[in-house]
Amino acid sequence: MSSHREAPEISKDPVADNTDFYAFVSPDMQNTVTLISNYIPFEAPDGGPNYYEFGEDVLYEIHIDNTGDAVADVTYQFRFHTEVRNPNTFLYNTGPITSLDSPNWNRRQFYTVTRVKNGKSTVLGSHLASPPCNVGPRSTPDYAMLAGAAVHNLGGISVFAGQRLEGFYIDVGAIFDLGDLRPFQNLHLIPTPATLAVDSTKAVNVHSIAIRVPISHLTRDGSTPTNQADSRAVIGGWCTASRQKMRMMGDMRMSGNMHLGPWTQVSRMAHPLINEVVVPMGKKDFWNTTAPKDDAQFVAGAQHPELAGLLPVLYPKVFPNLAAYTAPRADLVAILMTGIPAGIVPGFQNFTGKTLADMLRLNVAIPPAAKPSPAGVVGGDLAGYPNGRRVFDDVFTIELRAIAGVTIPLVDKTFTPDAAASKVSDNLTPAADRYLSTFPYLGTPKDGFNTPSN
Amino acid sequence: MAKLTRNGFLKQASAGAATIGALTALPGLAATAHAAPKTTVEADLSAATLREPLVAYVREAASGEISLLVGTREITLHNPELVMQLIRAAR
Repeated sequence: MSSHREAPEISKDPVADNTDFYAFVSPDMQNTVTLISNYIPFEAPDGGPNYYEFGEDVLYEIHIDNTGDAVADVTYQFRFHTEVRNPNTFLYNTGPITSLDSPNWNRRQFYTVTRVKNGKSTVLGSHLASPPCNVGPRSTPDYAMLAGAAVHNLGGISVFAGQRLEGFYIDVGAIFDLGDLRPFQNLHLIPTPATLAVDSTKAVNVHSIAIRVPISHLTRDGSTPTNQADSRAVIGGWCTASRQKMRMMGDMRMSGNMHLGPWTQVSRMAHPLINEVVVPMGKKDFWNTTAPKDDAQFVAGAQHPELAGLLPVLYPKVFPNLAAYTAPRADLVAILMTGIPAGIVPGFQNFTGKTLADMLRLNVAIPPAAKPSPAGVVGGDLAGYPNGRRVFDDVFTIELRAIAGVTIPLVDKTFTPDAAASKVSDNLTPAADRYLSTFPYLGTPKDGFNTPSN
Repeated sequence: MAKLTRNGFLKQASAGAATIGALTALPGLAATAHAAPKTTVEADLSAATLREPLVAYVREAASGEISLLVGTREITLHNPELVMQLIRAAR
Protein backbone atom coordinates (compact mmCIF):
# COMPACT_ATOMS: atom_id res chain seq x y z
CA MET A 1 0.00 0.00 0.00
CA SER A 2 1.01 3.62 -0.22
CA SER A 3 2.28 3.58 3.35
CA HIS A 4 -0.33 1.40 4.99
CA ARG A 5 1.20 -1.10 7.40
CA GLU A 6 4.47 -0.46 5.61
CA ALA A 7 6.86 -1.27 8.45
CA PRO A 8 6.77 -4.06 11.02
CA GLU A 9 6.43 -1.96 14.16
CA ILE A 10 4.00 0.70 12.94
CA SER A 11 1.76 -1.98 11.43
CA LYS A 12 0.90 -2.84 15.04
CA ASP A 13 -0.05 0.74 15.86
CA PRO A 14 -2.78 1.80 13.40
CA VAL A 15 -3.71 5.14 14.98
CA ALA A 16 -0.13 6.34 14.49
CA ASP A 17 0.36 4.69 11.09
CA ASN A 18 0.21 7.40 8.46
CA THR A 19 -1.05 5.90 5.27
CA ASP A 20 -1.01 8.74 2.75
CA PHE A 21 0.07 12.34 2.45
CA TYR A 22 -1.36 14.81 -0.04
CA ALA A 23 -0.34 18.36 -0.92
CA PHE A 24 -1.93 20.32 -3.75
CA VAL A 25 -3.13 23.74 -4.74
CA SER A 26 -6.81 23.70 -3.81
CA PRO A 27 -8.82 23.52 -7.05
CA ASP A 28 -11.67 25.63 -5.73
CA MET A 29 -9.55 28.15 -3.83
CA GLN A 30 -6.39 28.57 -5.81
CA ASN A 31 -4.63 30.94 -3.41
CA THR A 32 -4.49 28.10 -0.89
CA VAL A 33 -2.77 24.75 -0.48
CA THR A 34 -4.49 21.71 1.00
CA LEU A 35 -2.44 19.30 3.08
CA ILE A 36 -3.92 15.95 4.11
CA SER A 37 -2.40 13.20 6.22
CA ASN A 38 -4.27 9.95 6.64
CA TYR A 39 -4.10 7.39 9.44
CA ILE A 40 -5.60 4.03 10.43
CA PRO A 41 -5.24 1.77 7.38
CA PHE A 42 -8.01 -0.51 6.11
CA GLU A 43 -10.84 0.63 8.36
CA ALA A 44 -13.68 -1.83 7.89
CA PRO A 45 -16.77 0.43 7.89
CA ASP A 46 -18.63 -1.98 10.17
CA GLY A 47 -15.86 -2.09 12.75
CA GLY A 48 -17.95 -1.32 15.84
CA PRO A 49 -18.93 -0.96 18.57
CA ASN A 50 -15.73 0.91 19.31
CA TYR A 51 -15.44 2.74 16.05
CA TYR A 52 -12.19 4.23 14.82
CA GLU A 53 -10.74 7.39 16.29
CA PHE A 54 -7.47 9.29 16.50
CA GLY A 55 -4.99 8.52 19.26
CA GLU A 56 -5.20 10.81 22.25
CA ASP A 57 -1.63 9.85 23.00
CA VAL A 58 -0.31 10.65 19.52
CA LEU A 59 1.16 13.93 18.28
CA TYR A 60 0.14 14.34 14.66
CA GLU A 61 2.14 16.83 12.60
CA ILE A 62 2.34 18.17 9.06
CA HIS A 63 5.63 19.85 8.22
CA ILE A 64 6.56 22.31 5.50
CA ASP A 65 10.10 23.19 4.44
CA ASN A 66 10.37 26.31 2.29
CA THR A 67 14.13 26.79 2.25
CA GLY A 68 15.31 23.50 0.72
CA ASP A 69 17.14 22.15 3.76
CA ALA A 70 14.51 19.51 4.57
CA VAL A 71 14.00 21.05 8.00
CA ALA A 72 10.49 22.19 8.90
CA ASP A 73 9.89 25.93 8.70
CA VAL A 74 6.18 25.64 9.39
CA THR A 75 4.55 22.80 11.32
CA TYR A 76 0.88 22.18 12.04
CA GLN A 77 0.26 20.05 15.12
CA PHE A 78 -2.94 18.19 15.95
CA ARG A 79 -3.77 16.75 19.39
CA PHE A 80 -6.99 14.88 20.15
CA HIS A 81 -9.00 14.13 23.23
CA THR A 82 -12.09 12.03 23.74
CA GLU A 83 -15.20 12.87 25.72
CA VAL A 84 -17.67 10.21 26.85
CA ARG A 85 -21.17 11.30 27.78
CA ASN A 86 -22.26 8.09 29.46
CA PRO A 87 -19.66 5.57 30.58
CA ASN A 88 -22.37 3.17 31.72
CA THR A 89 -23.42 2.01 28.26
CA PHE A 90 -21.46 0.06 25.69
CA LEU A 91 -23.07 2.01 22.89
CA TYR A 92 -21.21 4.43 20.60
CA ASN A 93 -24.51 6.20 20.15
CA THR A 94 -27.86 5.81 21.89
CA GLY A 95 -29.94 7.12 18.99
CA PRO A 96 -29.55 8.90 15.67
CA ILE A 97 -26.68 11.39 15.55
CA THR A 98 -28.11 14.39 13.75
CA SER A 99 -25.62 17.03 14.86
CA LEU A 100 -22.11 17.24 16.27
CA ASP A 101 -23.52 18.07 19.70
CA SER A 102 -26.19 15.39 19.58
CA PRO A 103 -26.92 13.99 23.06
CA ASN A 104 -27.22 10.61 21.36
CA TRP A 105 -23.53 10.55 20.45
CA ASN A 106 -21.74 8.99 23.35
CA ARG A 107 -18.08 9.03 22.40
CA ARG A 108 -16.86 12.21 20.74
CA GLN A 109 -13.43 13.48 19.79
CA PHE A 110 -12.16 17.03 19.79
CA TYR A 111 -8.82 18.44 18.77
CA THR A 112 -6.48 21.38 18.99
CA VAL A 113 -4.55 22.78 16.03
CA THR A 114 -1.27 24.53 16.71
CA ARG A 115 1.07 26.19 14.23
CA VAL A 116 4.77 26.22 14.99
CA LYS A 117 6.76 28.79 13.05
CA ASN A 118 10.13 30.30 13.86
CA GLY A 119 10.08 28.44 17.14
CA LYS A 120 6.83 30.06 18.19
CA SER A 121 3.68 28.03 18.83
CA THR A 122 0.30 29.55 18.08
CA VAL A 123 -2.93 27.75 18.87
CA LEU A 124 -5.13 28.20 15.82
CA GLY A 125 -8.16 26.44 17.23
CA SER A 126 -9.15 24.27 20.16
CA HIS A 127 -12.01 21.97 21.12
CA LEU A 128 -12.75 21.49 17.43
CA ALA A 129 -15.21 18.68 16.86
CA SER A 130 -14.49 15.66 14.71
CA PRO A 131 -17.47 13.97 13.09
CA PRO A 132 -18.55 10.51 14.21
CA CYS A 133 -17.73 7.47 12.15
CA ASN A 134 -20.28 6.60 9.51
CA VAL A 135 -22.15 3.89 11.39
CA GLY A 136 -25.26 3.43 9.24
CA PRO A 137 -28.60 4.97 8.27
CA ARG A 138 -30.12 4.67 11.74
CA SER A 139 -27.17 6.12 13.60
CA THR A 140 -25.79 8.64 11.10
CA PRO A 141 -28.71 9.31 8.74
CA ASP A 142 -27.16 12.40 7.11
CA TYR A 143 -23.46 11.79 7.25
CA ALA A 144 -22.50 14.40 4.67
CA MET A 145 -24.16 17.03 6.82
CA LEU A 146 -22.26 15.90 9.91
CA ALA A 147 -18.96 15.93 8.05
CA GLY A 148 -19.71 19.34 6.61
CA ALA A 149 -20.33 20.71 10.08
CA ALA A 150 -16.94 19.36 11.10
CA VAL A 151 -15.12 21.62 8.63
CA HIS A 152 -13.90 24.47 10.82
CA ASN A 153 -12.87 27.88 9.60
CA LEU A 154 -10.01 29.32 11.61
CA GLY A 155 -9.68 32.76 10.12
CA GLY A 156 -8.88 31.85 6.54
CA ILE A 157 -7.65 28.36 7.42
CA SER A 158 -9.96 25.38 7.05
CA VAL A 159 -9.48 22.20 9.04
CA PHE A 160 -11.16 18.84 9.17
CA ALA A 161 -10.21 15.75 11.14
CA GLY A 162 -12.27 12.62 10.90
CA GLN A 163 -13.28 9.60 8.91
CA ARG A 164 -13.07 9.66 5.11
CA LEU A 165 -13.29 7.17 2.27
CA GLU A 166 -9.87 5.84 1.30
CA GLY A 167 -8.57 7.79 -1.68
CA PHE A 168 -5.61 5.64 -2.64
CA TYR A 169 -6.48 2.88 -5.09
CA ILE A 170 -4.50 -0.22 -5.85
CA ASP A 171 -4.91 -3.95 -6.36
CA VAL A 172 -3.01 -4.67 -3.19
CA GLY A 173 -3.91 -8.33 -3.02
CA ALA A 174 -2.28 -8.90 -6.37
CA ILE A 175 0.77 -6.67 -6.10
CA PHE A 176 1.95 -8.28 -2.90
CA ASP A 177 1.38 -11.73 -4.37
CA LEU A 178 4.83 -11.69 -5.94
CA GLY A 179 4.30 -8.52 -7.90
CA ASP A 180 1.27 -9.73 -9.80
CA LEU A 181 -0.64 -7.33 -12.01
CA ARG A 182 -3.87 -9.10 -12.92
CA PRO A 183 -4.18 -7.49 -16.39
CA PHE A 184 -0.69 -8.77 -17.23
CA GLN A 185 -0.46 -11.90 -15.13
CA ASN A 186 -0.38 -14.09 -18.21
CA LEU A 187 3.17 -12.77 -18.58
CA HIS A 188 4.11 -13.45 -14.96
CA LEU A 189 6.76 -15.95 -13.99
CA ILE A 190 3.93 -17.96 -12.43
CA PRO A 191 1.29 -17.27 -15.10
CA THR A 192 -2.48 -17.33 -14.90
CA PRO A 193 -4.96 -15.93 -17.41
CA ALA A 194 -5.16 -12.15 -17.44
CA THR A 195 -8.12 -10.64 -15.61
CA LEU A 196 -9.35 -7.26 -14.49
CA ALA A 197 -7.73 -5.76 -11.44
CA VAL A 198 -9.49 -5.47 -8.09
CA ASP A 199 -9.76 -2.11 -6.36
CA SER A 200 -8.83 -3.32 -2.91
CA THR A 201 -9.55 -0.05 -1.14
CA LYS A 202 -12.81 1.08 -2.70
CA ALA A 203 -14.83 0.20 0.40
CA VAL A 204 -12.48 0.92 3.27
CA ASN A 205 -12.13 4.12 5.24
CA VAL A 206 -9.30 6.07 6.82
CA HIS A 207 -9.01 8.90 9.30
CA SER A 208 -7.90 12.13 7.68
CA ILE A 209 -6.35 15.28 9.04
CA ALA A 210 -6.87 17.99 6.44
CA ILE A 211 -5.86 21.61 6.56
CA ARG A 212 -6.24 24.25 3.85
CA VAL A 213 -4.03 27.27 4.30
CA PRO A 214 -3.20 30.33 2.23
CA ILE A 215 -0.12 29.79 0.08
CA SER A 216 1.41 32.86 1.67
CA HIS A 217 1.48 31.05 5.02
CA LEU A 218 3.80 28.42 3.58
CA THR A 219 6.28 30.20 1.33
CA ARG A 220 9.58 31.46 2.67
CA ASP A 221 8.83 35.14 2.17
CA GLY A 222 5.08 35.13 2.65
CA SER A 223 4.45 35.62 -1.05
CA THR A 224 2.04 33.87 -3.39
CA PRO A 225 4.32 33.08 -6.34
CA THR A 226 2.95 33.05 -9.85
CA ASN A 227 6.14 32.14 -11.75
CA GLN A 228 6.79 28.41 -11.66
CA ALA A 229 10.49 28.99 -12.32
CA ASP A 230 10.81 30.97 -9.10
CA SER A 231 12.54 28.86 -6.44
CA ARG A 232 10.31 30.45 -3.81
CA ALA A 233 7.37 28.71 -5.43
CA VAL A 234 8.50 25.25 -4.32
CA ILE A 235 7.71 23.90 -0.88
CA GLY A 236 8.43 20.47 0.55
CA GLY A 237 6.06 18.66 2.89
CA TRP A 238 5.79 15.53 4.99
CA CYS A 239 3.76 14.26 7.91
CA THR A 240 4.75 12.51 11.09
CA ALA A 241 3.20 10.81 14.09
CA SER A 242 4.97 10.74 17.43
CA ARG A 243 4.43 9.03 20.73
CA GLN A 244 5.87 9.79 24.10
CA LYS A 245 8.92 7.72 24.85
CA MET A 246 7.47 5.78 27.79
CA ARG A 247 4.15 4.05 28.29
CA MET A 248 3.12 2.47 31.57
CA MET A 249 0.33 -0.02 31.10
CA GLY A 250 -2.57 -0.82 33.36
CA ASP A 251 -2.15 1.63 36.25
CA MET A 252 -5.81 2.24 36.91
CA ARG A 253 -4.95 4.95 39.43
CA MET A 254 -3.74 6.85 36.36
CA SER A 255 -6.76 6.03 34.17
CA GLY A 256 -5.12 2.93 32.80
CA ASN A 257 -2.13 3.83 30.68
CA MET A 258 0.34 6.58 31.36
CA HIS A 259 2.64 8.32 28.90
CA LEU A 260 5.84 10.09 29.81
CA GLY A 261 8.87 11.62 28.21
CA PRO A 262 9.64 13.50 25.04
CA TRP A 263 7.78 12.95 21.80
CA THR A 264 9.45 10.32 19.68
CA GLN A 265 8.64 9.97 16.00
CA VAL A 266 7.17 6.58 15.11
CA SER A 267 5.87 7.20 11.60
CA ARG A 268 6.51 9.57 8.72
CA MET A 269 5.48 9.93 5.13
CA ALA A 270 5.87 12.14 2.09
CA HIS A 271 6.04 10.32 -1.26
CA PRO A 272 3.83 7.25 -1.50
CA LEU A 273 5.42 3.81 -1.42
CA ILE A 274 8.86 4.95 -0.19
CA ASN A 275 9.06 3.12 3.09
CA GLU A 276 6.85 0.49 1.52
CA VAL A 277 9.02 -0.67 -1.38
CA VAL A 278 12.16 1.47 -1.54
CA VAL A 279 13.38 0.98 2.04
CA PRO A 280 14.39 -2.61 2.87
CA MET A 281 12.79 -4.61 5.69
CA GLY A 282 15.71 -4.22 8.04
CA LYS A 283 15.55 -0.42 7.93
CA LYS A 284 11.84 0.28 7.79
CA ASP A 285 11.28 0.79 11.51
CA PHE A 286 14.43 2.90 11.70
CA TRP A 287 13.34 4.98 8.70
CA ASN A 288 10.13 5.85 10.52
CA THR A 289 12.17 7.42 13.34
CA THR A 290 14.40 9.51 11.09
CA ALA A 291 14.06 12.98 9.60
CA PRO A 292 14.02 13.89 5.90
CA LYS A 293 17.19 15.95 6.30
CA ASP A 294 19.05 12.70 7.00
CA ASP A 295 17.68 10.77 4.04
CA ALA A 296 21.00 10.67 2.17
CA GLN A 297 21.60 7.44 4.07
CA PHE A 298 18.70 5.87 2.16
CA VAL A 299 19.62 7.10 -1.32
CA ALA A 300 20.76 3.65 -2.46
CA GLY A 301 17.15 2.49 -2.33
CA ALA A 302 16.24 5.10 -4.94
CA GLN A 303 19.38 4.65 -7.02
CA HIS A 304 18.99 0.89 -7.25
CA PRO A 305 15.38 0.06 -6.34
CA GLU A 306 14.78 -3.57 -5.60
CA LEU A 307 11.57 -3.54 -7.61
CA ALA A 308 13.46 -2.53 -10.78
CA GLY A 309 15.47 -5.68 -10.40
CA LEU A 310 12.42 -7.80 -9.67
CA LEU A 311 10.33 -6.75 -12.68
CA PRO A 312 12.54 -8.48 -15.29
CA VAL A 313 12.57 -11.60 -13.12
CA LEU A 314 8.84 -11.70 -12.44
CA TYR A 315 7.96 -10.85 -16.05
CA PRO A 316 10.53 -12.77 -18.12
CA LYS A 317 11.53 -11.23 -21.47
CA VAL A 318 9.26 -8.24 -20.86
CA PHE A 319 11.84 -5.81 -19.49
CA PRO A 320 15.16 -6.58 -21.23
CA ASN A 321 16.28 -2.95 -21.43
CA LEU A 322 15.51 -2.36 -17.77
CA ALA A 323 17.37 -5.52 -16.85
CA ALA A 324 20.44 -4.31 -18.70
CA TYR A 325 20.42 -0.86 -17.10
CA THR A 326 22.83 -0.80 -14.19
CA ALA A 327 23.54 2.90 -13.69
CA PRO A 328 22.23 4.60 -10.53
CA ARG A 329 18.70 5.82 -11.16
CA ALA A 330 19.23 9.57 -11.27
CA ASP A 331 15.66 9.96 -12.50
CA LEU A 332 14.22 8.41 -9.35
CA VAL A 333 16.59 10.34 -7.10
CA ALA A 334 15.36 13.55 -8.72
CA ILE A 335 11.68 12.64 -8.52
CA LEU A 336 11.80 11.37 -4.97
CA MET A 337 14.66 13.10 -3.21
CA THR A 338 15.56 16.47 -4.73
CA GLY A 339 12.68 17.45 -6.97
CA ILE A 340 12.91 17.78 -10.72
CA PRO A 341 15.23 20.60 -11.84
CA ALA A 342 14.28 23.11 -14.50
CA GLY A 343 14.98 22.05 -18.07
CA ILE A 344 13.89 18.43 -17.69
CA VAL A 345 10.14 18.80 -18.17
CA PRO A 346 9.11 21.88 -20.17
CA GLY A 347 7.37 24.46 -18.03
CA PHE A 348 8.00 22.64 -14.80
CA GLN A 349 10.38 22.35 -11.89
CA ASN A 350 10.01 21.43 -8.25
CA PHE A 351 13.66 21.34 -7.33
CA THR A 352 14.52 22.19 -3.73
CA GLY A 353 18.29 21.88 -3.95
CA LYS A 354 20.88 19.20 -3.43
CA THR A 355 19.68 18.03 -0.02
CA LEU A 356 18.48 14.47 -0.50
CA ALA A 357 15.19 14.15 1.33
CA ASP A 358 11.89 12.38 0.99
CA MET A 359 9.60 15.39 0.77
CA LEU A 360 6.51 15.84 -1.35
CA ARG A 361 7.52 18.88 -3.37
CA LEU A 362 4.84 21.20 -4.60
CA ASN A 363 5.30 24.09 -6.99
CA VAL A 364 2.50 26.34 -5.78
CA ALA A 365 2.75 28.62 -8.83
CA ILE A 366 1.32 25.92 -11.07
CA PRO A 367 -2.46 26.25 -11.01
CA PRO A 368 -4.80 23.26 -10.96
CA ALA A 369 -5.51 21.82 -14.40
CA ALA A 370 -8.88 22.45 -16.00
CA LYS A 371 -9.01 18.77 -16.92
CA PRO A 372 -6.77 16.97 -14.46
CA SER A 373 -5.04 13.74 -15.43
CA PRO A 374 -4.53 11.10 -12.73
CA ALA A 375 -1.23 10.37 -14.49
CA GLY A 376 0.09 13.73 -13.28
CA VAL A 377 3.27 15.16 -14.78
CA VAL A 378 4.00 12.08 -16.91
CA GLY A 379 0.46 12.47 -18.28
CA GLY A 380 1.07 16.11 -19.17
CA ASP A 381 -0.73 17.50 -16.12
CA LEU A 382 1.87 19.58 -14.32
CA ALA A 383 -0.41 20.12 -11.33
CA GLY A 384 -0.35 16.43 -10.44
CA TYR A 385 2.05 13.98 -8.88
CA PRO A 386 5.01 14.29 -8.43
CA ASN A 387 4.20 17.97 -8.26
CA GLY A 388 2.70 17.46 -4.85
CA ARG A 389 -0.03 14.87 -4.85
CA ARG A 390 -3.78 15.16 -5.38
CA VAL A 391 -6.30 12.76 -3.87
CA PHE A 392 -7.09 11.13 -7.21
CA ASP A 393 -3.58 10.81 -8.63
CA ASP A 394 -2.77 7.28 -9.75
CA VAL A 395 0.48 7.22 -7.83
CA PHE A 396 0.87 3.46 -7.99
CA THR A 397 0.90 3.43 -11.77
CA ILE A 398 3.07 6.55 -11.97
CA GLU A 399 5.70 5.13 -9.65
CA LEU A 400 5.53 1.66 -11.15
CA ARG A 401 6.12 3.03 -14.63
CA ALA A 402 8.90 5.27 -13.38
CA ILE A 403 10.62 2.31 -11.72
CA ALA A 404 10.05 0.29 -14.90
CA GLY A 405 12.09 2.87 -16.75
CA VAL A 406 9.83 5.40 -18.45
CA THR A 407 11.54 8.31 -16.70
CA ILE A 408 15.13 7.22 -17.31
CA PRO A 409 15.30 9.13 -20.65
CA LEU A 410 14.68 12.35 -18.72
CA VAL A 411 18.24 12.04 -17.48
CA ASP A 412 19.79 9.52 -19.87
CA LYS A 413 18.86 10.00 -23.52
CA THR A 414 20.69 6.80 -24.52
CA PHE A 415 18.13 4.61 -22.77
CA THR A 416 15.08 3.27 -24.56
CA PRO A 417 12.35 2.10 -22.20
CA ASP A 418 10.87 -1.31 -22.77
CA ALA A 419 7.53 -1.21 -24.55
CA ALA A 420 5.81 -2.59 -21.46
CA ALA A 421 7.17 0.16 -19.20
CA SER A 422 4.57 2.66 -20.30
CA LYS A 423 1.77 0.11 -20.05
CA VAL A 424 2.26 -1.56 -16.69
CA SER A 425 -0.54 -0.67 -14.35
CA ASP A 426 -3.36 -2.27 -12.49
CA ASN A 427 -5.62 -0.21 -14.77
CA LEU A 428 -7.94 0.91 -12.01
CA THR A 429 -10.32 3.82 -12.37
CA PRO A 430 -11.87 4.91 -9.09
CA ALA A 431 -15.60 5.50 -8.93
CA ALA A 432 -16.83 9.05 -9.43
CA ASP A 433 -18.06 9.33 -5.85
CA ARG A 434 -14.64 8.49 -4.44
CA TYR A 435 -13.75 12.17 -4.04
CA LEU A 436 -15.34 15.53 -3.32
CA SER A 437 -14.83 18.67 -5.35
CA THR A 438 -14.58 20.73 -2.17
CA PHE A 439 -12.59 20.55 1.05
CA PRO A 440 -11.61 18.04 2.43
CA TYR A 441 -11.73 16.49 -1.06
CA LEU A 442 -11.68 12.85 0.11
CA GLY A 443 -15.09 11.25 -0.22
CA THR A 444 -17.80 10.39 2.24
CA PRO A 445 -16.76 7.28 4.15
CA LYS A 446 -18.60 4.04 3.56
CA ASP A 447 -21.12 3.28 6.27
CA GLY A 448 -21.03 0.12 8.32
CA PHE A 449 -24.58 -0.98 7.63
CA ASN A 450 -24.41 -0.94 3.86
CA THR A 451 -20.80 -2.01 3.55
CA PRO A 452 -20.20 -5.31 5.30
CA SER A 453 -16.56 -6.25 5.19
CA ASN A 454 -17.09 -9.09 2.76
CA MET B 1 17.75 16.38 26.38
CA ALA B 2 18.94 18.14 29.49
CA LYS B 3 22.16 16.87 31.04
CA LEU B 4 22.42 17.25 34.79
CA THR B 5 25.14 16.57 37.29
CA ARG B 6 24.31 14.79 40.52
CA ASN B 7 24.83 17.98 42.47
CA GLY B 8 22.63 19.92 40.11
CA PHE B 9 19.98 17.26 40.32
CA LEU B 10 20.01 17.24 44.10
CA LYS B 11 19.93 21.01 44.16
CA GLN B 12 16.93 21.00 41.86
CA ALA B 13 15.23 18.39 44.00
CA SER B 14 15.81 20.32 47.20
CA ALA B 15 14.37 23.38 45.51
CA GLY B 16 11.03 21.66 45.39
CA ALA B 17 11.14 19.36 42.38
CA ALA B 18 9.45 16.03 42.85
CA THR B 19 12.17 13.73 41.60
CA ILE B 20 13.61 12.50 44.90
CA GLY B 21 10.18 12.07 46.32
CA ALA B 22 9.19 9.81 43.48
CA LEU B 23 12.42 7.87 43.47
CA THR B 24 12.27 7.17 47.17
CA ALA B 25 8.90 5.60 46.66
CA LEU B 26 10.83 2.62 45.28
CA PRO B 27 11.29 -0.03 47.99
CA GLY B 28 15.05 -0.25 47.68
CA LEU B 29 15.47 3.46 47.71
CA ALA B 30 13.26 3.85 50.69
CA ALA B 31 15.76 1.81 52.66
CA THR B 32 18.54 4.04 51.45
CA ALA B 33 16.62 7.13 52.26
CA HIS B 34 16.15 5.89 55.78
CA ALA B 35 19.89 6.12 56.18
CA ALA B 36 19.45 9.86 56.14
CA PRO B 37 17.94 11.59 59.16
CA LYS B 38 14.40 10.33 59.11
CA THR B 39 12.81 13.57 60.07
CA THR B 40 14.54 15.43 57.20
CA VAL B 41 13.45 12.90 54.59
CA GLU B 42 9.89 12.89 55.80
CA ALA B 43 9.85 16.63 55.86
CA ASP B 44 11.17 16.71 52.28
CA LEU B 45 8.56 14.21 51.16
CA SER B 46 5.73 16.03 52.79
CA ALA B 47 6.87 19.27 51.19
CA ALA B 48 7.39 17.72 47.77
CA THR B 49 4.70 18.07 45.19
CA LEU B 50 4.51 15.36 42.55
CA ARG B 51 2.62 17.16 39.84
CA GLU B 52 2.88 14.26 37.43
CA PRO B 53 4.29 10.75 37.49
CA LEU B 54 7.98 10.18 37.00
CA VAL B 55 9.90 7.17 35.73
CA ALA B 56 13.60 6.56 36.20
CA TYR B 57 15.22 4.53 33.44
CA VAL B 58 18.64 2.88 33.63
CA ARG B 59 19.69 1.70 30.20
CA GLU B 60 23.21 0.52 31.00
CA ALA B 61 24.53 0.19 34.52
CA ALA B 62 28.15 0.82 33.59
CA SER B 63 27.34 4.27 32.26
CA GLY B 64 26.10 5.43 35.64
CA GLU B 65 23.37 7.32 33.84
CA ILE B 66 19.73 7.54 34.78
CA SER B 67 17.07 9.02 32.52
CA LEU B 68 14.14 10.63 34.23
CA LEU B 69 10.99 10.75 32.14
CA VAL B 70 8.50 13.28 33.37
CA GLY B 71 5.84 15.08 31.37
CA THR B 72 7.26 15.51 27.90
CA ARG B 73 10.81 15.85 29.19
CA GLU B 74 13.73 13.48 29.51
CA ILE B 75 16.40 14.49 31.99
CA THR B 76 19.64 12.51 32.10
CA LEU B 77 21.75 12.57 35.20
CA HIS B 78 25.07 10.90 35.93
CA ASN B 79 24.84 9.22 39.31
CA PRO B 80 26.63 5.85 39.64
CA GLU B 81 25.76 5.66 43.32
CA LEU B 82 22.05 5.99 42.66
CA VAL B 83 22.32 3.50 39.80
CA MET B 84 23.85 0.98 42.18
CA GLN B 85 21.09 1.60 44.71
CA LEU B 86 18.46 0.95 42.05
CA ILE B 87 20.20 -2.22 40.93
CA ARG B 88 20.32 -3.49 44.49
CA ALA B 89 16.65 -2.67 44.94
CA ALA B 90 15.78 -4.57 41.77
CA ARG B 91 17.48 -7.80 42.88
